[in-house]
Amino acid sequence: MSVSTKAAETSAPKLRSLLHQRDGQFTRELLLSPGGFGLGKVPESHKPDAVTKMVCGYCSTGCSLNVHLQKGEAVSLTPSRDYPVNLGMACPKGWEALSVLDSKERAFTPIIRRPNGKREATDWDTALTTFVSRVRQIQAEHGNDAVAFLSTGQMPTEEMAFLGALAKFGMGMLHGDGNTRQCMASAVVAYKQAFGFDAPPYTYQDFEESDVIVLVGANLCIAHPIMWERVMRNPHKPEIIVVDPRCTETAMQATQHLRLYPKSDMDLFYGIARILIANDWVDRDFIASSTNGFEEFAEHVEHFTLERVSASTRLPAEQIESLARAIHQGKRVSFWWTMGVNQSYQGVRTAQSLINLALMTGNIGRPGTGANSITGQCNAMGSRLFSNTTSLLGGYDFTNAEHRQHVADQLHIDPARIPSENSQSYDAIMEGILAGRIKALWVICTNPAHSWINQNQALDILDRLDFLVVQDMYSTTETAQLADLLLPAAGWGEKEGTFINSERRIGVLKRVARAPGQALSDFSIFRLVAHYWGCEDLFEEWKTPQDVFEILKRLSANRPCDITGIRDYQMIDECGGIQWPFPQGQGPQKQERRLFEDGRFYHEDERARFLFDEPKPLSEPPSKKFPFILLTGRATASQWHTQTRTAKSAVLRKLYSRDPYVEISPDDAREQGVGPNDWVLIESQRGRVKAKAFITHAVLPGQVFVPMHYSEINKLTDAVFDPHSRQPSYKACAVRLSRSYA
Amino acid sequence: MTTAHMESSIESTGATACENPSRPDATAPMPGPAFIQDLLSEQQQLTAVEQFSRFHAASAEDSESGQYSALLPASPLEPGEQYAFEVDLDRCSGCKACVTACHSLNGLDEDETWRDVGLLQGGTSELPVLQHVTTACHHCLEPACMTACPVDAYEKDPVTGIVKHLDDQCFGCQYCTLACPYDVPKYHKQKGIVRKCDMCSDRLAVGEAPACAQACPQEAITIRKVNRQQVIDESETGQFLPGAPDPHITLPTTTFKTARVLPRNMMPVDYFAVRREHAHWPLVLMLVFTQLSVGAFLVEFALERFLRPELISMIRPAHSMGALFFGLSALAASTFHLGRPHLAYRAIVGLRHSWLSREIVAFGAFAAAGVLYAGASWSIGAVEVRPLWFKALGASVGIAGIAGVFCSIMIYHFTRRELWSGTHTAIRFLLTTALLGVASYWLTLMLLALAGGSDSARLVIEEYGASLCKIQIAIASAKLVFEASLLRHLKSRQNTPLKRSALLMTGELSQFALARFACGLLGGILMPGFLLLHAGEPVSDGEMFLAITSTMMITSCLIGETLERYLFFATVAAPRMPGGVGS
Repeated sequence: MSVSTKAAETSAPKLRSLLHQRDGQFTRELLLSPGGFGLGKVPESHKPDAVTKMVCGYCSTGCSLNVHLQKGEAVSLTPSRDYPVNLGMACPKGWEALSVLDSKERAFTPIIRRPNGKREATDWDTALTTFVSRVRQIQAEHGNDAVAFLSTGQMPTEEMAFLGALAKFGMGMLHGDGNTRQCMASAVVAYKQAFGFDAPPYTYQDFEESDVIVLVGANLCIAHPIMWERVMRNPHKPEIIVVDPRCTETAMQATQHLRLYPKSDMDLFYGIARILIANDWVDRDFIASSTNGFEEFAEHVEHFTLERVSASTRLPAEQIESLARAIHQGKRVSFWWTMGVNQSYQGVRTAQSLINLALMTGNIGRPGTGANSITGQCNAMGSRLFSNTTSLLGGYDFTNAEHRQHVADQLHIDPARIPSENSQSYDAIMEGILAGRIKALWVICTNPAHSWINQNQALDILDRLDFLVVQDMYSTTETAQLADLLLPAAGWGEKEGTFINSERRIGVLKRVARAPGQALSDFSIFRLVAHYWGCEDLFEEWKTPQDVFEILKRLSANRPCDITGIRDYQMIDECGGIQWPFPQGQGPQKQERRLFEDGRFYHEDERARFLFDEPKPLSEPPSKKFPFILLTGRATASQWHTQTRTAKSAVLRKLYSRDPYVEISPDDAREQGVGPNDWVLIESQRGRVKAKAFITHAVLPGQVFVPMHYSEINKLTDAVFDPHSRQPSYKACAVRLSRSYA
Repeated sequence: MTTAHMESSIESTGATACENPSRPDATAPMPGPAFIQDLLSEQQQLTAVEQFSRFHAASAEDSESGQYSALLPASPLEPGEQYAFEVDLDRCSGCKACVTACHSLNGLDEDETWRDVGLLQGGTSELPVLQHVTTACHHCLEPACMTACPVDAYEKDPVTGIVKHLDDQCFGCQYCTLACPYDVPKYHKQKGIVRKCDMCSDRLAVGEAPACAQACPQEAITIRKVNRQQVIDESETGQFLPGAPDPHITLPTTTFKTARVLPRNMMPVDYFAVRREHAHWPLVLMLVFTQLSVGAFLVEFALERFLRPELISMIRPAHSMGALFFGLSALAASTFHLGRPHLAYRAIVGLRHSWLSREIVAFGAFAAAGVLYAGASWSIGAVEVRPLWFKALGASVGIAGIAGVFCSIMIYHFTRRELWSGTHTAIRFLLTTALLGVASYWLTLMLLALAGGSDSARLVIEEYGASLCKIQIAIASAKLVFEASLLRHLKSRQNTPLKRSALLMTGELSQFALARFACGLLGGILMPGFLLLHAGEPVSDGEMFLAITSTMMITSCLIGETLERYLFFATVAAPRMPGGVGS
């Protein structure tokens, strides 16, 4: 065929396409093509040459994501379908997990604050030399315990363990705590006291097997959408009972919603226990064989008459009786709680009031049952076992000499290096800074300047430090901006390790993206600190995360959290995650397992305990001057905590309100002269913030709700704590409202 | 993953230890910098494939068509049917995974989304109701986007009913974004085109569920077959979704189903939010200047008819040139509104159905006739008796101009936005045409009289100035009263679209509104009033006065009309699907 005829043949369609063009560059940009690897169609430009699974780095659900790779580098992701947690689904945060890595707000180099107050980029050698010399100097002047650290529930277990070991055994620090204090501490203590070990007993399959699901202070639809997926898959048409002062998305889907007065949960559950006992709707056999302290408990709840409980919870008597009846009639009743219970001045006892209900009705150790704390952060569970803060590595006790000896033997270090006293909790560390006892603070992967309670005071406290070191992915977090020294960290996707999810499942993290600039994995940073400190001989075995995993396996031997049966990361990967316990030599295990199937608990007598207390009134009840109760919580599934990551995704930013807002009931709005979208000034005794009015029946008159993701909200909250868990009570304080014209 | 640049507020110290690992370090024996360098280079190694490679090869999951088949219709389409989204409201829990999945699985740009999730609320304090609603394109039976499109960049698949956008055909006029009552087509500024949901037709073609449907953890989104006649029947009741635009306009096919009875006070949570709309500045200028130009020609024709022809014919060449200049400027301005102006010629494709197409053609003809007419008036000079062909040319300028303004009116009327209704828009556009027509004639007269030393112009001013001023005052008063009458909707009990416009005028955009009325008053009433006071006096007695007053009159009118047109765009209440908190 000659060139000219060819040209003539193509020129007609070409001419036509000048007027009407069906194809071209723009069309090609959006072409989809089969992705291979069972992915279905994917955008052609993101067609992977390999796919690997890894666990998501936001919440404790612990979904698995298929990361699509081109030449080893992540280009896209989709939720894994054959993973027992999420079954092919993810929430918006998971879908956008990669895009937040690529941000100009990342920390690219160490940043040091010069004497003139200016922040300047510096090199790692200078940063580490400064770090070590400043910390040594402060320790020399004020004692080893004048330096403390704040860790996180967002790092892999191996890094947490390294940090805890380095700070305490290597650098001689005494006090360190994690941001898990802010979300999980009450559940931890509740379990430890009741079961003898911090052991959430459930597996997610229980959501699908219950016929009665009781959700207390938990908004799964927004906070844990993938767990809600499991509830929706339940084929038994379950009774779903939500206990929450607010009409949340989850409450909307419930068959019963008990809108109790804030912080009256304990009264309610004691009242329910009384009804169950009075009707003999209890499992006498289980109580006799597996528990202690029931008689005392029964005597205690005797005082919680229907009238009393109805008055304190402000619930109609029928609703309370109906809940008791549902628990009685259910064959497989599960109790679930989250921050509505934990973040309270009586969180531990409230959690235990739920544990008590499960124990007395024998709803534990069977499919679809349990007293189940839903965790917050992706690796809060890893932190609970291995962060070396509240407990000694592996859930051991710092004050127990045998435990110290055992851990020292496993680590091949001198037991004298292990402190013989407990760490102070987060609030005590903050108080220590205020009192001038603590002079330097190392903050890793958390953002106290936004998240700590009573923010005006918290900022004042952080300002008093002689030396604040922040180790973070971003140079712009509220805390990073206060730092004297900022160490740039690699994030999820840029490093290896393991997370443990809510149902005790260990999942693997992989390195699929290059960290920007000179950012290093927290693991490498800890190795460098050990090196510059001169204690690297203690950590000779700690070369890679996998090495540390081996150490943690050893430490877990014969503990409730025994994971000695796990060969290596590859095995976790191949099994779709592995739940603890997984001791060596137990043969193949089921993918979903629950605890206490044999009715034996971790106390020495193998019995669970009934624990209870007299409920306390609101720590700051509404008054004439501050007539509203301020509730706080999660707002959307697209926002995560202090927004250091989620605010970096352009798509996620479109999915929530840019301005902080306050939910106000129509009655209160009318009374205060506030209209929809008006700016409202919210004031507590501690501070004031502005928010836009969202007038809704979702809150009852006398109560208002603000999402916790907006940085100023903690100016309002009141720094009171649970006496057992030292968890801050974020959920209820007194405020007043007025329309703001400014 | 690209590495963004370091935050500018942080100064770089230049060479770092890492760039210079072999720096001799006499004081410290330990090779810290070398260790740092090792770790930094290790950090850049991507290890997932290498470490877990055995696993990849073995674990390719089965095709997902099986897994998601429940989300698709079980049987093929019958005649009279098409595909449609079905949203089970009882399952939508508001997680918004659908939005991110659509974004990710379709490879959209950074902040581009084709799906939205809104929130409805209602009920009582005892029984509140909150309902999240996920929505995307409704693949309407009569898509307004498709009718509006001047270049036929939309197609409705005759079999599947999917409304597909041809990205390469689009020239970025964005008219579809105004025409769609559901705010579905999204303009992509960098690319200069619109893009939208196509129900993942490529996926459907091979039995895969659309991205949003596969990603919904609660299986709230499915693809179902709908009977077209049933869609029409159902639209009659007007009950599509509480707070959503009236379905009978475009016949949307999405079904929102619920087993519950939604309370009567169910409303979008953003119902009371007033938001200014996009100003579309090139369109503002284009409308004002085309109307000025058309008005200028028409005023001249009218004066030629009623006034002394020997005088008017002296003014004609200059005035028609001026009128033409504004007309051509308007057309130039309008191309700035196109995302891809080099494809402007494609506008003729949609002539059969698109008012935008018709507008472009009408104004194109107007410009062509205008050029000829202006040229001819120069060449024939100041003749008192116009030849027939010249009259015909003038008539065609007038007809094309009127047709153009009419098309402009219809463009906005078609969107069914209340503020843009035919009557409303016609009153605004026609009065602008008249007002600026008179003002521009005054400009010509003033320039000829003062700068050109034209006696005829002076005579016209002396003889007809008073009448021109009176006409000007009458038109301006009528227009300002009409515009101000919008504020009566503030008293409306219901939050109607016109009340929203009024709220914007008195609230967020009150400064623009004040400026608009000030300019209108100054240019349309006060300045002509001053001129009227001195009407009949010889021009030579007050040249300075004439110059200043007329200039102020003309500029104020022009600025006033431009602000009016800005408010026309910015204060319109655009219909859309329910939004979320703070949206």
